[in-house]
Amino acid sequence: MTASSVRTVGLDLQESSEDTRRVVEAIEQDNDDVVVTQIPGLVKIQAPGQLVIRRETVESLLGRPWETHEFQLAIVSYYGHIAEWDDDEIVIKWDH
Amino acid sequence: MAKKLSMKKRYSALTRDLDWTPSYVDPEKVFPYTSFEGIKIHDWAKWEDPFRLTVDSYYKYQAEKDKRLYAVLDGFAQSQGHLSLSDAKYLNSMKLFLQGVTPLEYAAHRHFAFLARHYNGPGPRFAALCQSIDELRHTQTEIHTLSTYNKYYGGMHSWPSQFDRVWYLSVPKSFFDDAMSAGPFEFLIAISFSFEYLLTNLLFVPFMSGASFNGDLPSMTFGFSAQSDESRHMTLGLEAIKFLLEQDEANVPIIQAWIDKWFWRGYRLVALIAQMIDYMLPRKVMSWQESFELYFEEQMLNGLFKDLEFYGIKPPRHVEHAIAEKEILSHQVYWGLYSFSFAAAFTTTVPDAEHQDWLRAQYPGTFDKHYQPLWDKAAKIQADGGRFFFQGLPQLCQVCQIPMLFTEPGDSTTICQREREYQGERYHFCSDGCQWIFDREPEKYVQAWLPVHQIFQGNCGGPSVPEVLAWYGIQDGDGGEYVGSADHVDWERWHAAAPVRS
Amino acid sequence: MAVRAITETYDFPSRSRQELYGDDQLVHVLWKGNPLLCAAATFRAPRAMPFGEFLAGLIDPWAGSDPDYRPGAGRGWTLDGAAFDPSPEASLAELGVGHKSLLTFEA
Repeated sequence: MTASSVRTVGLDLQESSEDTRRVVEAIEQDNDDVVVTQIPGLVKIQAPGQLVIRRETVESLLGRPWETHEFQLAIVSYYGHIAEWDDDEIVIKWDH
Repeated sequence: MAKKLSMKKRYSALTRDLDWTPSYVDPEKVFPYTSFEGIKIHDWAKWEDPFRLTVDSYYKYQAEKDKRLYAVLDGFAQSQGHLSLSDAKYLNSMKLFLQGVTPLEYAAHRHFAFLARHYNGPGPRFAALCQSIDELRHTQTEIHTLSTYNKYYGGMHSWPSQFDRVWYLSVPKSFFDDAMSAGPFEFLIAISFSFEYLLTNLLFVPFMSGASFNGDLPSMTFGFSAQSDESRHMTLGLEAIKFLLEQDEANVPIIQAWIDKWFWRGYRLVALIAQMIDYMLPRKVMSWQESFELYFEEQMLNGLFKDLEFYGIKPPRHVEHAIAEKEILSHQVYWGLYSFSFAAAFTTTVPDAEHQDWLRAQYPGTFDKHYQPLWDKAAKIQADGGRFFFQGLPQLCQVCQIPMLFTEPGDSTTICQREREYQGERYHFCSDGCQWIFDREPEKYVQAWLPVHQIFQGNCGGPSVPEVLAWYGIQDGDGGEYVGSADHVDWERWHAAAPVRS
Repeated sequence: MAVRAITETYDFPSRSRQELYGDDQLVHVLWKGNPLLCAAATFRAPRAMPFGEFLAGLIDPWAGSDPDYRPGAGRGWTLDGAAFDPSPEASLAELGVGHKSLLTFEA
């Protein structure tokens, strides 16, 4: 295990809508050791090493079709690299 | 029925696959700007664009963001929201924002449009195109967000012309002009990386949180709306630096030098944010020191730069100086603005007792010792019927163009003076950082349009303060002391208990 | 040239060179150890101006921003980093005060 794999990656999301709340729940479901903190207007999500957002999980919680591009409406900031963004998932982690 | 293309394939088909290699025009003539900086690119196709947004998705989601924002602005205006701020003096922060940041959004829009044409690779061209449209959107949404307040408060009426003339606005203006007059790769490191990634949270989070805490719903909502675009800009910045570092080892020292230059230039620029977050917000979010420690030291130095070590990139030159200043920066800069706000399009005032308590608690090592005495004296002068102002024009740093109010590293009682003679003429700098920047490219900085020098050359409307203010387009009610100002008087009047008409 | 430019040469005159001020020049003056005055002041003055006039006409009014300042109280002068003991009748030029020279004093 290298030093970089224990570095925290993070996402800040807008705390504005019910839809975003389902996205947060999906992230909590699909990732281990997630820490979610609320500050006014923002949801801060942190995890060691990697964060994954899976379309299927979001859709199952939302009860409607959801494309990964819709994540644009929720994101405020992130730290780490966007390692993947395709039809099914978004992955954030550090490269080195 | 034909299967839909995957996001990856669709993105490629609609962006990169539309590119072609010129067959009858010399490529150097098609892309004349990308060689002179000495940056070597071997394979433009290696540029990664993780968001994979094609224009149809882009416009769909940007339009949705705009709709949501304008709905909030309408609601705020309809509900007389301008009366529900924490205090009218909060708006000085947004006057500074409109005057100093909005013009940079517009300049970024223009320059990214230029880059959308002039990068050789379709990946960065498309990324630059989206960013150009984003920045125009930011310009527009900032104007609409703040036009609500322009109806009722001073300082916001003439920011486009003021940006080109007013003394403190030459700080952001010269910063961006420096980037725009550099080559396309330096611009990418200066703005996409150093400004939109390294320093972005230090700029935006204080404004957005400050807005949220002080009842400024429009600015807060704008902030969130823009931040989702910023996540793409941050990605561009990070991709820019990785791409350039990975293309050729020879690029590494060039990139390092640009990081060193633009960290320092950006750091001096955000001194305006430091004073804003500690002094201009009636309801406090966090201190500059805390912001700097979280958003820069922790997230960048201990996060990003650890990542960049892989390429041989070191933390920026002079960063230890910035760290050493975190307990004094905001106080020095606000005292400077307090001293000169007779010539500004915002007001300043002595912090009240509660505010001073907060400053003392946030800065136990420095506030009581160095800055409380200044406020005590200013308060005494005010109690005696006067108002302290610096009755003259300040010495400006040749590079950052800020009045030379910064102090020697390790000795916050001594003004830092650095000097260089170049081709028989003297130039002064506020710090080792700015001097180092000058020494690298003196030919650029000798051309600086320094407001104080230009006033003395007679280029700013006349020799007297009223003539200069008229040339600046600053009117009564825009600047000076907050107590007794038009904003203050109006605020009190609007909130006075008044009988409801039957 | 130090700067990397797209053109062969990149050579432009200073926007604040002395000739733009005619017979005048810029002089910076720093009141050392008084944080009330956040920075040095910059003045425009004729090169032929006697130091006494420069002091009384330009430095004193500015230093008087601090209500505790007494005109002429400045001592321990330096000029461009070296000790400076100006006679009031001598002109700035005669005293070696050049364009964008830095004077400092304590009071």
